Amino acid sequence: MNLNSLYAAALILLLTGCSMNQMVVRTSTPMLTGGITAMNHETDLKLAKDAMPASLKMLEGMLVNDPDNSLLQGYAAQGFYGYSYGFIEDDDPHRASALYQRGFAHAQQALHAAGLKLDVLGTRQQDLEPAVAHLDRKALPALFWGASCLAKWIDMNRNDPLMIAQLGKAAVLMDRVLQLDDSYYYGGAHLFFGVYYGSRAPMFGGDYARSRQEFALARKITAGKLLIGDVLYAQYLARQQQDRLAFHDKLTAVIAAPPDLFPEMALVNKIAQRKARMLLKLEKEWF
Amino acid sequence: MMKRALLILALLCAGTAQATEQYVLKFATLAPAGTSWMNILDDWAKQVAHDSGGRLVFKMYPGGVAGDEPDVLRKIRFGQLQGGAFSGHGIGLIYSPARVLEMPFLYRNVQEIDYVREHLMPEIDAGFRANHFEEIGWMEIGFVRFFSRKPINSIDDLRKSRVWMWQGDALGQAFFDATDISPVPLSIADVYTSLSTGLIDTVPSPPLAAIAMQWFTKTSYVTNTPMFDAIGALLVDERFFKKLPPDLQKLLKTTGTAVGEHLIAETRKDNAKSLDVLKQNGFKFTMNPGDVKESELFDIRDKAAALLAKSGYIPQDMFDRTRKLLDKYRAAHPQDQSVQAQPH
Repeated sequence: MNLNSLYAAALILLLTGCSMNQMVVRTSTPMLTGGITAMNHETDLKLAKDAMPASLKMLEGMLVNDPDNSLLQGYAAQGFYGYSYGFIEDDDPHRASALYQRGFAHAQQALHAAGLKLDVLGTRQQDLEPAVAHLDRKALPALFWGASCLAKWIDMNRNDPLMIAQLGKAAVLMDRVLQLDDSYYYGGAHLFFGVYYGSRAPMFGGDYARSRQEFALARKITAGKLLIGDVLYAQYLARQQQDRLAFHDKLTAVIAAPPDLFPEMALVNKIAQRKARMLLKLEKEWF
Repeated sequence: MMKRALLILALLCAGTAQATEQYVLKFATLAPAGTSWMNILDDWAKQVAHDSGGRLVFKMYPGGVAGDEPDVLRKIRFGQLQGGAFSGHGIGLIYSPARVLEMPFLYRNVQEIDYVREHLMPEIDAGFRANHFEEIGWMEIGFVRFFSRKPINSIDDLRKSRVWMWQGDALGQAFFDATDISPVPLSIADVYTSLSTGLIDTVPSPPLAAIAMQWFTKTSYVTNTPMFDAIGALLVDERFFKKLPPDLQKLLKTTGTAVGEHLIAETRKDNAKSLDVLKQNGFKFTMNPGDVKESELFDIRDKAAALLAKSGYIPQDMFDRTRKLLDKYRAAHPQDQSVQAQPH
């Protein structure tokens, strides 16, 4: 490298405000994005389960070098959510709780980068609502994965009043996703509210009609190809309403779905089928 | 000889059939899965199944999946369920005099609650039996306070508020009549929305419930004088209980009593933690003990008791006995008179 090249490299670094490490991280990001796409296409659950921890650690390593990279923060929140939901929470809720917490911490950083200059957990819900209302589309990944991680973190700690008190905030974040783009991540915000209103008795804030409507909207967005929606419907709304027929039929249909139904989300569909088999074993106990 | 052998064989077979008969107790509760309450109830179910060698098993219906308390009572009467965990609301529909334990401004602290309950329980148990239920364990939902949008420092402030009352609740109605307050009667499912729209601005609730129902997100103040202690009970249909062999009856009662004690201890802890959460959320505590004269509160209590006696909901003599028990406890424990509602 001659002297001119060195000057040119130094100038680029100065102009972009990047360090060499950040440059390396940012040029590697397309590979990471490709890795996420490949993971979503994965149909071998064991391979996915074994591969995800290394990917997550690589992501965190990249964040060490580029701590304000909101794209990576969003990926990290998504990754910790996916790993915990898909492979950990059914066997080890305690560990899942810690992983969701970690995912939420990444999302909190991403929210900060997107313009939310306050700490979600330490802010009263009344004060969070107007601040979140100012966030725009670039905050979508942080809002969506932040709400998802927070809600599951609470779900793993339903015996802790401190965590129960945070539930409304998860809904505030996800409600903003609905306002900005209800089709974001395959209508995941509708699934969130399907569970939010379907998993509780009306006296605890449940609303079965709203839940049914939210599940239907999510289903419409993916033309019924994302199977996890039907699993969540059975697990929460059908159970809460003691609708054994819907529980049985939905889970049975999920298990019978062809493997090539939705190639871009094949991994989530595989996870949905595994969860459906697990839930069907509980049918006699729940109904 | 042959006849005798057959008889012995028949008797042996009958004995075996009885020993292996399985009893399924379908039990409903509003407590959501995963909460401290439900975890304790699930552990209870496992213990009973284990200790009975599988002869007595629970089928739990958590989180209100079997409906609200009147629904559960209906299902018990039709034989679809055999038991449930009830709050004062449901208890009032079975044996209303038990709610003497929920009289407003009765207790100063939990020690008084424990003393009074212990002495009234034989009578309350008999009352449940007379109404075809067996009390298996006792619970507590906690000291009820007023959560409000504006500070409530006096009973007069309360009179100026739009206070929610659980629709159809006789005890609540007597309290509001005695206090000269016109409450806003609503179903519990409508409270959150009504706080948002301003139809109501004040809700009575224990701290944990105010958090679980998200009512705390719509209010900023909470009173620090306990209004009443919300009760609960684990109750089983008498028809089911009487069918059980004596050893299973004993198992259900002894484990149920222990579970009730555990539930009370956990509820008290959770309510204390909930007060900490409220503090962290910037809640301001109003109407501290001493801000309102006890004589004013006692006057309300006695007027409410007179109204409830008149309607037959709680007999006057039961209230009088409760008062006497409290007087006796207070005379024997002069050091234990503090009003225990402060967050620690």
